[in-house]
Formats: sequence, structure tokens, C-alpha cells
Amino acid sequence: MQVPSDPAGDDLKDWAARKAPELLARAQQEAVAILRDALVEAALAGRSAEGSAAMPAAAAASPPPERAPASTAAPIALEGELLWVYCVLDARAPQPAELGGIDERFAVERVEAAGLAALVSRVPRAEFAAEPLRENLNKLDWLERVARAHEAVLEAVLADATIVPLRLCTLYENEDGVRRMLHQEQAALTAALGALLGREEWGVKLFVDAEKLQEEARASSEEAAKLTRELERQSGGGAYMLQRRLERHLREVSNSLASAVAADMQERLEALGVEVVLRSPQNRELSGHEGEMLTNAACLVDAAGLQRLQQLATQMEERYDSLGARVELTGPWPPYNFVPGGDAAALA
Amino acid sequence: MEANFPVRPGGLPGRPPAAPQTNLADILERVLDKGIVIAGDIQINLLDIELLTIKLRLLIASVDRAREMGINWWETDNSLQKLEPGTENGRSLEQENRELRERLERLERQLGIGEGQAKRAGA
Repeated sequence: MQVPSDPAGDDLKDWAARKAPELLARAQQEAVAILRDALVEAALAGRSAEGSAAMPAAAAASPPPERAPASTAAPIALEGELLWVYCVLDARAPQPAELGGIDERFAVERVEAAGLAALVSRVPRAEFAAEPLRENLNKLDWLERVARAHEAVLEAVLADATIVPLRLCTLYENEDGVRRMLHQEQAALTAALGALLGREEWGVKLFVDAEKLQEEARASSEEAAKLTRELERQSGGGAYMLQRRLERHLREVSNSLASAVAADMQERLEALGVEVVLRSPQNRELSGHEGEMLTNAACLVDAAGLQRLQQLATQMEERYDSLGARVELTGPWPPYNFVPGGDAAALA
Repeated sequence: MEANFPVRPGGLPGRPPAAPQTNLADILERVLDKGIVIAGDIQINLLDIELLTIKLRLLIASVDRAREMGINWWETDNSLQKLEPGTENGRSLEQENRELRERLERLERQLGIGEGQAKRAGA
């Protein structure tokens, strides 16, 4: 820090007063980032830890959980099973013969009503009744197992039929409850099935190489060149300040470059004539991706739309080759992003 | 999606899988956030759950970096705004903000730097 030479020290106070809001904001940002990292770390630790290990927060918040329901005189019986609903399809649509459910002891069954079929399987109350479920959902390893099992069933069915995927944790007491639901929701479900017929959900992600992005920023900026030249003539404290300025400048330029590439991708996706849902980029610690994820989108495409999407992917990789652009297409997914009501629980 | 690996653009059908296992973020952002919502017999409000409201949001999305790069198009989706000040999850942030301000004011008073003094007349 450069201390002003004013003997009264007013400059320093002045500086401090001026800087206070900015410093405060920065400190706050850092605090949030640290908190975020700690939470993410805790969650990831919980995930990798052995089987039943709960995350610290969950463990702290709750005494030893559901294992001893009898002693605590639970108001709701935790014996027996509930029905987990995976998806709804047309009652005439086929489904694979043998499908294991979330609980491996129970196979996927079919409950039919109103010309529709719900695919369900039995899950133990001890794990899935409201109370234990609330606890279990806080364990990332449990959640991962259930989410993957749910997904696996949908994917197996998806191969031969149009389906409406249900949000995780749609649970009923018995078959009658499921049939009632099919009757009640018949109009919405039938409309959704019609809208999805012959179309697939595909995930689209655009990545660029962080270093190449910075290189490009350096090469494209006059200011960066000027600062670099100045830097060569300087030494000591001046050089340090210049170096910081150069770094900040490069960050700004590469950020606006990234933002422009992302906007370009968005525009081209929207010009494809398919339905597009834009999601926030994913956390690298969970997704394991390399590079900067600039786009995370889902598209609902028919066969021709998929072809256009694949062409766009190739185009974008060529167009931004100097940034090491990479487009990843995944699918087909169950059409989660394209059924009504998908925003209510709203994650990022 | 073991069976449906990421297909590389321009790749030929039947090319060997590029990723052995689907990324968990891909699955979670779909099964928790999307899919048709029908009230079942077991009422679980996913938003009630601490992990799902805060930790998991942070876990699935990498938002700070994207915002820094000026990419925020998903924000038209009302979901993320729940983390912003003024909404439920933003409340603690607001409170933290207020506490920090109060602390700053106390420090300023101790140092004798008031609002009035902050601006130095003439240089």
C-alpha cells in the first residue's frame, strides 16, 4: 500500500473512507466464496464417505436417525412400503420386461388408468416416509444412488416409448393413489405426451480452454501490449503495480470474450428452430469437467433438429478453435426440461 | 446414462463411449429441478431441505465464475434469484451485510472518521 505523504494523515483517512465500501464488498464476496467452498467440500466429503456417513451439518442437526423407530413411538408406521412413481406413458406403449427399481428387491411395475400407465416400484417406508426422506435427502451419497436409479429406469423405458418424467420423490401410499392421480392429471399428462412425441432431449455444453482464452485476450488487446512494454522497463514496486493492472485487464478482456462467445452460442442455439432451455454452468467439482463451461443448455429435438444441433456443435468448435472450443452433446435424456411445471422447486 | 454416452459432434454412431458414467451434476440438475411436478401422498417440500436449498444449489451450479464472465442468461429462470438478497436464502446475506456495515461504522467512529470528515476540503 502506498502511504500518502501528508503529515496530517488526512489522505490516509480519506483513502480509507473512500475505499471502505469497496473493501467491504470484496470482503463479503470472499466470505461468501469461502463459505461456499466449505459447504461444497462438506457435501463432497459426505458423498465420498462410506455408505451411511451423513454430512456434518445433517449429522449435527439430527440425533441418530431412523434406525430405531419403535423406541421413539413414531407417529407414522415405518414398516411396509410406498410406491415410487418414475414416469407416465401411454398405456399402449411398451416397456422393458424386467426392470429393477430403486430398491433392488422390488421390480418396476405398471399401474394403469385413464389410458395412461405409471411406472412404479415399491420402496421401504423406513427410508422414504416423509421424516426419513427429509433426512436422507440431505445425504449426497443417498441422493446420488436414488437419482441414478430413477434415471436408469427412465432411460431404459425411453428407448421404446415417449415418457413424461416425474420429479424425484413423487410417492403414493398404494396403487389406488396412483390411479387417482392418473385420472386427475389425465389432461395435462396426455398433452405433455403429445408434445413430446418423436422428440428427444439433448444436453449441449460449450467449453473453452481457460489459458487459450487468456492468450487470445492478450493478443487482442492494445492496452495489454502497452502495459507489457511498460512492465519491461519497470522494476520493484512500480513493476508490481503494473503487473497487477495487467492481470486485472487481461481478466476483464477474457471475461468479455467469454461472454461474447456464450452469447453467440445462445443466439445460434435459438436460431436452430428447436426448444432450448438454458441452465447455469455446472460446478466442476461435481461434473468433473475441464475448461470453462460457457454454455449449459438442453434442447428438445426431432431427428432433423438433432442433425442441425450436431452441425452447430462442429461449427462452433471450428469457429472458436483458437480458444480450444469443445461442444459436448449428451443424450437422449428423458425430457425433464420440457415438461410443464418443471420450475417449481427451482435449483440453479 | 450408461447406455447413452456423450456423442461427440461429427462422431459416428456406435463409437465407443467417451464418458463411462454420466456426470452427477447432469442428473441432479434434472431430477431435482425438472420433471413434471405432481403432489403425491408423501408431501416433501424439496425447498425445506437445507442441502437442496443451499448446499446443493452451490454444488450443482458454478455461478460466481459465470457471472464474473458476464454470463447470466439462466437468471431469467426465477430459480437462482432465491439466492439473491431480499429473498428467503438471501436474508442471511443481507443480515451479514448489515452487521458488517455496523461494525465498520463503529470502527470509523473509534478512528474519528465520520461521514462529514471523509471528504477533505481543498487539496
